[in-house]
Amino acid sequence: MISALNRRFKAGFFKQTAIAPLIMFRIIFGAMLLFSSLRFMIKGWVETQYIEPQFYFAYLGFEWVKPLQGNLMYIPFVIMAISALFIMLGFFYRISTFLFFLCFTYVELIDKSNYLNHYYFLSLMSFLMMLVPAHRDFSIDAKLFPSIRRKETAAWHINILKFQLAVVYIFAGIAKINSDWLLEAQPLRTWLQAHHNLPLVGGILQEEITAYFFSWTGCIYDLFIVFFLLNSRTRPLAYLAVIFFHIVTWLLFPIGVFPWVMIFSTTVFFGVNFHQQLLNGLKKLFKWTEQVPEQIKKIPTPRPIVKYGLLLYIAFQVIIPLRFLAYPGDLFWNEEGFRFSWRVMLMHKEGHATFYVTDKNSGRTIEINNTDYLTVRQEDQMMTQPDMILQFAKMLKKEFDGKTFSNSQQSISLKDPAVHAEVYVSLNGRPSQLFIDKKHDLTLLPYNLKHRNWLEPFEK
Amino acid sequence: MLKRAVGFILIISVGLFYSCKDKKDKDSDKVDFNKGALLENVSGNIIVPALAQFNGEVSDLKSSFVTFKNDPTNVNLEVMKSHWKASYLTWQTVKIFDFGPVRLNGFKSATGTYPVDTAKVQANMTNGAYNLATISNLDAIGLNALDYLFYKSNALSEFQNTPAYMQYAEDVIGKLYNETQTVVNGWNSYQSTFNASTGTSSTSAFSEFVNEFNRDYELAKTAKIGIPIGKANLGLVKPEYVEARFSGISFELLIESIKALKATYNGNSFINGANGIGFSNYLVHLEKINLDDLINQKFNIIQSKAEGFSVTLETAINDPSMQNQLDELYLHLQQQVVNIKTDMTSAFGVLITYQDNDGD
Repeated sequence: MISALNRRFKAGFFKQTAIAPLIMFRIIFGAMLLFSSLRFMIKGWVETQYIEPQFYFAYLGFEWVKPLQGNLMYIPFVIMAISALFIMLGFFYRISTFLFFLCFTYVELIDKSNYLNHYYFLSLMSFLMMLVPAHRDFSIDAKLFPSIRRKETAAWHINILKFQLAVVYIFAGIAKINSDWLLEAQPLRTWLQAHHNLPLVGGILQEEITAYFFSWTGCIYDLFIVFFLLNSRTRPLAYLAVIFFHIVTWLLFPIGVFPWVMIFSTTVFFGVNFHQQLLNGLKKLFKWTEQVPEQIKKIPTPRPIVKYGLLLYIAFQVIIPLRFLAYPGDLFWNEEGFRFSWRVMLMHKEGHATFYVTDKNSGRTIEINNTDYLTVRQEDQMMTQPDMILQFAKMLKKEFDGKTFSNSQQSISLKDPAVHAEVYVSLNGRPSQLFIDKKHDLTLLPYNLKHRNWLEPFEK
Repeated sequence: MLKRAVGFILIISVGLFYSCKDKKDKDSDKVDFNKGALLENVSGNIIVPALAQFNGEVSDLKSSFVTFKNDPTNVNLEVMKSHWKASYLTWQTVKIFDFGPVRLNGFKSATGTYPVDTAKVQANMTNGAYNLATISNLDAIGLNALDYLFYKSNALSEFQNTPAYMQYAEDVIGKLYNETQTVVNGWNSYQSTFNASTGTSSTSAFSEFVNEFNRDYELAKTAKIGIPIGKANLGLVKPEYVEARFSGISFELLIESIKALKATYNGNSFINGANGIGFSNYLVHLEKINLDDLINQKFNIIQSKAEGFSVTLETAINDPSMQNQLDELYLHLQQQVVNIKTDMTSAFGVLITYQDNDGD
């Protein structure tokens, strides 16, 4: 059993295969990164998400990651755009992929209120691209240093990319196997009815049966699309499904570039011939001269570090989305093990959180206006996510400790104040329920990965 | 393996069939609703008529000022005050709609900012060379600047003896009048855009309307009551933050604001209160009848609690024996926030930010 697996692993990952799919993927991926970096700057989001906020919600263990001062925050984005262009052109490829990965991941780590699954995906993909030699044909590097040119490459260089895409789809599919999604057609029912004024399709979209159809189709699509893409016979039809599915989601939901990332990334599943022809066409267009004779290198034996590194990466990618199983309680309610798990468009959660800073001596309180400290987006994200609520409470304590409040009659100084919060949350169209009771002094609660027993239980 | 898979699919299919079936029955008594009709009703029967009435009242205020300037008697001052008050009450409806031409012209902050910075007003008068259009002068203009100028204890003699005082009032009224004209004209062309903007993006008129409705409600809660009773100040009261402090009509304004929000929520006509299509109808359409009842009941409770005060807000907050009554009013104001901001807004599927989202 083990040795059979080992053989398959070796065959699937270390045999030599045509490099064309990898080259084509580099070009497509670089173009996507370039587009999304430019789009982010043009939309003014560097300003609104990395310059305007006064406070950032750091990831646990990454509190040392801080934004740069003011407009300096544009630097990582400019580097991203330039390195994305270089990735596309295959110019100083290894350095460019490294720089892109570094800048992109740095920016993502600054504030978890900006977390999106597709950002995490791009971060992982740029990490993988850094490790594979996608510059060994039809690139400026290959032009400058013809000795790096190859016709073939190890299969894992391409298959690890397919694996990553498979992880995204399959876990997104598994996440949809829950009663809200399948039996209540929520949150799609809420989201689709909001389109009832669209010409032609509006009437259909607000029908309940449509929401069920979308929910079930979406779930089945996510679970199985990868297998249909892998099979050369079903591939053309499967890719049409990919295009159709993602364009529908792009039209209906504000999910930005994600549909396009998936539509273009899944081309990596296409056969060698397809990529070879495409690449030959491009080469013709740009008058690329092949250097003959091509160096034929001996097939390299897989190094143990590569083998075990790959196994470790694969194991992590499977375990991380499943870590929620280690926590009791409702996943959507508690959000323990929610991020980094490909739960895309899965729930509709709205909350309202009122924070109170209390003087322990007099029992007097201050009611906080959250938007004095947070942007609208940060507040919106914070109000339904327990870890962010806790972080905000601890920030408030720091902010208010030692401050003096007065009116014409008296004056009170706050020392080591308590911070309480009353939070109500509505999940997937249910009436709002108490999420966090005002009785807890949040400053005394630990911020860690352990189960948070101070959340009110969820009632379906 | 295959058998199990088939069995699994069978079970969920049956489950799906049943869950659809039992929902189909409820479907039949769904009320017909569309957002286009809601927007048409709100713009045609609430926003535009309220703006027209506000415009009329501000014009009256302006002409009564001219009369008063020529003949600064107490009688003429009182006429001017009555037009000011009528404008301020209508403003409670207009201020909800901070989008389109209102937002474009910064009309909400220019007209309704409080408390007025009386020192700034005085300094402006003394210096003479002021530009009322600057951001720093937002708390030295608008209806609250007039509250101070008209109602401060020696207002009449100031008007009679200090030309700069008369001039300042004239400038504030003139600015208000001009901006009102601009906004009214803006709505003439904006109305059709508004009615057609039924989409789900955060910049669609419907989303802006929902978000501004929430914002205005929260602002009423926080600024009209919360801050003056010391909610942001360890419970130490702040009478200097009371809205329309000099005329003492703050409770009247609060009641009017709650009535306006409730009427808007229900889509009731500004002109005659006739029923129309509003958020309430949308909630009923979405089978959220309980929530709809809850919201209307809460508006009623808040209104009656606010009507329970027979003194001015400033008197009430300076009277420790009335603290509980104020806290109770505030609590009800606070409880309604969850109903409209969390439950109502999430039922509508409206987004509050414009950035990319993947639903988590």
